[in-house]
Amino acid sequence: MAGWARRRLLLTAPFLILLSGCAAVPATQQGGDVHSLYRTIFLLAAPVVVIVEGFLLWMLWRYRRHTDEEPPQSFGTKRALVIFFLIPTVIVGVDYGFGEATLASVDRIDPNPQVVIRAEGFQWEWTFYYLNEGFFTTGKTLTQPAQMEIPVDEPVKILLHSRDVIHSFFVPSFLFKRDVIPGRTNQFTFTATRLGVYKGQCAEFCGLYHSRMTFYVHVVTASDYSAWVRRARNAALHVTCPSLGTHVRVTAKNTQWNTNCIAVAANQQIALSVSNQDPAIDHNFAVYDSSKRTKEFFQTGRFPGVATKDFAISPLPPGRYYFQCDVHGPAMSGVYVVTP
Amino acid sequence: MAVTEVRPAAVAPGPSRRSWLLEWLTTTDHKRIGILYLINSFAFFFIGGVFALIMRLELARPGAKLISIHLYNEIFTLHGTLMIFLFIFPVLNGFGNFFVPLQIGALDMAFPRINALSFWLLPVGGLTILSGFVTKGGAAAFGWTNYVPVSLQGGTGEDLWTLGLLIVGVSSLLGAINFIVTILRMRAPGMTMLRIPIFVWAVLATSLLAVLAIPVFTSGLLMLFADHRLGTVFFNPAHGGNVLLWQNVFWFFGHPEVYMLILAAWGIVSEILPVFSGKPLFGYRGVVLAFLLITALSFTVWAHHMYATGAVELPFFSATTEMISIPTGVLFFNWLATIYKGKLRFEPPMLFALGFIAMFLIGGIDGVWTAAPAVDFALTDTYWVVSHIHYVLFGGTMFGVVAGVYYWFPKMFGRMLNRKLGIWHFWVQLVGFNLTFFPMHLLGVRGMPRRIAYYAPDRGWTFLNQLSTVGSWLIAVSMLIFLWNVLAAFRRPKDAPDDPWGANTLEWATTSPPPVHNFDHLPPVRSERPVRDLRLAAAAREGSS
Repeated sequence: MAGWARRRLLLTAPFLILLSGCAAVPATQQGGDVHSLYRTIFLLAAPVVVIVEGFLLWMLWRYRRHTDEEPPQSFGTKRALVIFFLIPTVIVGVDYGFGEATLASVDRIDPNPQVVIRAEGFQWEWTFYYLNEGFFTTGKTLTQPAQMEIPVDEPVKILLHSRDVIHSFFVPSFLFKRDVIPGRTNQFTFTATRLGVYKGQCAEFCGLYHSRMTFYVHVVTASDYSAWVRRARNAALHVTCPSLGTHVRVTAKNTQWNTNCIAVAANQQIALSVSNQDPAIDHNFAVYDSSKRTKEFFQTGRFPGVATKDFAISPLPPGRYYFQCDVHGPAMSGVYVVTP
Repeated sequence: MAVTEVRPAAVAPGPSRRSWLLEWLTTTDHKRIGILYLINSFAFFFIGGVFALIMRLELARPGAKLISIHLYNEIFTLHGTLMIFLFIFPVLNGFGNFFVPLQIGALDMAFPRINALSFWLLPVGGLTILSGFVTKGGAAAFGWTNYVPVSLQGGTGEDLWTLGLLIVGVSSLLGAINFIVTILRMRAPGMTMLRIPIFVWAVLATSLLAVLAIPVFTSGLLMLFADHRLGTVFFNPAHGGNVLLWQNVFWFFGHPEVYMLILAAWGIVSEILPVFSGKPLFGYRGVVLAFLLITALSFTVWAHHMYATGAVELPFFSATTEMISIPTGVLFFNWLATIYKGKLRFEPPMLFALGFIAMFLIGGIDGVWTAAPAVDFALTDTYWVVSHIHYVLFGGTMFGVVAGVYYWFPKMFGRMLNRKLGIWHFWVQLVGFNLTFFPMHLLGVRGMPRRIAYYAPDRGWTFLNQLSTVGSWLIAVSMLIFLWNVLAAFRRPKDAPDDPWGANTLEWATTSPPPVHNFDHLPPVRSERPVRDLRLAAAAREGSS
């Protein structure tokens, strides 16, 4: 039976060592707070596990059957019961105090964020709107994860918005996630403290391709960040493509358009054919003045795939416009160029 | 466990000449219904277990290779649904059915026909859920929590899931009412509430939880169905419904449900430890108090499943969550004190009961991290939670259930299970269990979300997933040993004495297996250990003569 006890110890010891050392290295100030709370709880919990399991093993060895004599029949006393209640109460009370202190710092909303990003989730992609800079970045479902770029050591505020079902914005290295809930805007602020590229992922099951709803957060220096903002803005402004004349055919497949640029002739009615290749998923096609969508010029109804429908777009004066699928927003958008 | 092996000889010969099959199909004998519960539960455990093995194979390598993502989503949904609603809860009810009337010295349950109905609803409900697989669009695929609005995108399989759980819910509710009435009204003379075996207290607490929680879930399921098919907008945000209402309703039921899934296992362990330590349960009244406190508190902690929604009162729910660990801690102290200075016999039931304490402790302690909202933000919806729930429900309840099978099998079938095989079963299950579920803690800390069929090779999750997959097959091996042990027992003649363990409670005062009417002579009940009193009296008579 001593071998029995020894084997048991061998089983539990490496587990405890692993548990202490494996928390992800936090990349944000708030994540650092969470990490130290994790360690504090470890320091409270590990002795409990070691003492209880150790005491149990010791008893198994010490009280294995020696004799046929009946052991003392102890039924328990009120004093023992009081002690049994007091010990966990004290541990839990201390734990609760530490927990609340950390919660306050993690949940604090910074009143003066340097960057404000509206992160929008939908099945199954992310779009990040840089609200002060006036542009957005997005990805392509299943092929290209969305990228978020933020400056190091600056407070960043994230507003979470869902276009369809519940998602969850989760970056393991930030030791943080927050649900993205339709009809509700959650927000949080954080300050990244380490340069690097951090993987993020939807953490609330959201349907078929939940596991593919990933994104990246790039934490860069302040100067790299402003250069990136300039580049991203210019890229959005200068997309061009050859004119298709008066007949346009667009295809939606895997929640993407087949193009991010459509050029047509000015002041003529355009024959538009919209093909939706996504079974049971709604899409539509709409033309606006810009991604801010202050003026709408054209909009088809939503319809599910697989189907193709024909429409006519009224003549428009020359200029740069913006098109998108209203169901999926900027993640399915592009520039609509009316050439003279 | 094969039905065919249980000879009708166990039943008192009646005038009826009906076939044994008809006897079993129409039985209202609580013992036979209990056995039916166990067979049905282990059948669903087998299905849910196969689903788990398939999931582990899929996750052993990055990418999505073995099965389609949609099939994976169906399988993890039904693994959780079947294990929780059609294995754990019914298997504990199976023990309850067989042993509560015996332990309190009753002839049968209070409502034998309703008892049969509660059983037969179970396979109907379970097969209704599974039948989703043959519908267009497949079975429900949105997790056992079935969050809206994503679940409203489901097809017929989603409706069958809802309907099946409504049926299972009715079954549990009828069963719970039956237990409450039986325990309160059918006790033998002298069997006061503070002398009933601790397992009976656990079943009573479970039944109170079920009666209070299941109606809430049932109404939630009806609202869900109405949203899905009748165009109502309780939950659907597209038309002004409240998405979080479902989560509140679900978890208001779901957290008491967690305790419904473990209280009876605590009861089993609290029966076994005293018997194999040669001592009474330390602090019987303290354990009862802890059970009742947990029953009450379990209705105040539901929103700890919703910390990351940003829509709950964190300090309150975090405080209640911390508080509920206090009576749980009291249980641990009482169990340890029961063993302390005992005379320990390491029979298979005792090994599994000790395994329960060792493993459930880990499942309780790792819950302390997620009880703190700030840490929970990092760990919720990751594999940490998967690990936590399995340390509680497998390391806890499943070890308790297996302990119960080894302990009570001689009483139920008149045959002993093989001790050596039982010890092998224990060690393989203990190692396999830890190898499967411990690495999941680390995966959670490294940010692997739950419910993903796919992960990229560069995430650093591959090795830990492989360990876990190897462990899952070790668990499968341990279950094969278990099955072999049970089947082999039926090939041997009946060899179990009335009281093979030197136990304490009334079920050991009758034959193994018991006659249809349970007791030829009901011994007097003058303490919480009437069978021990009998033993001592017999020894005293022998000594004096």
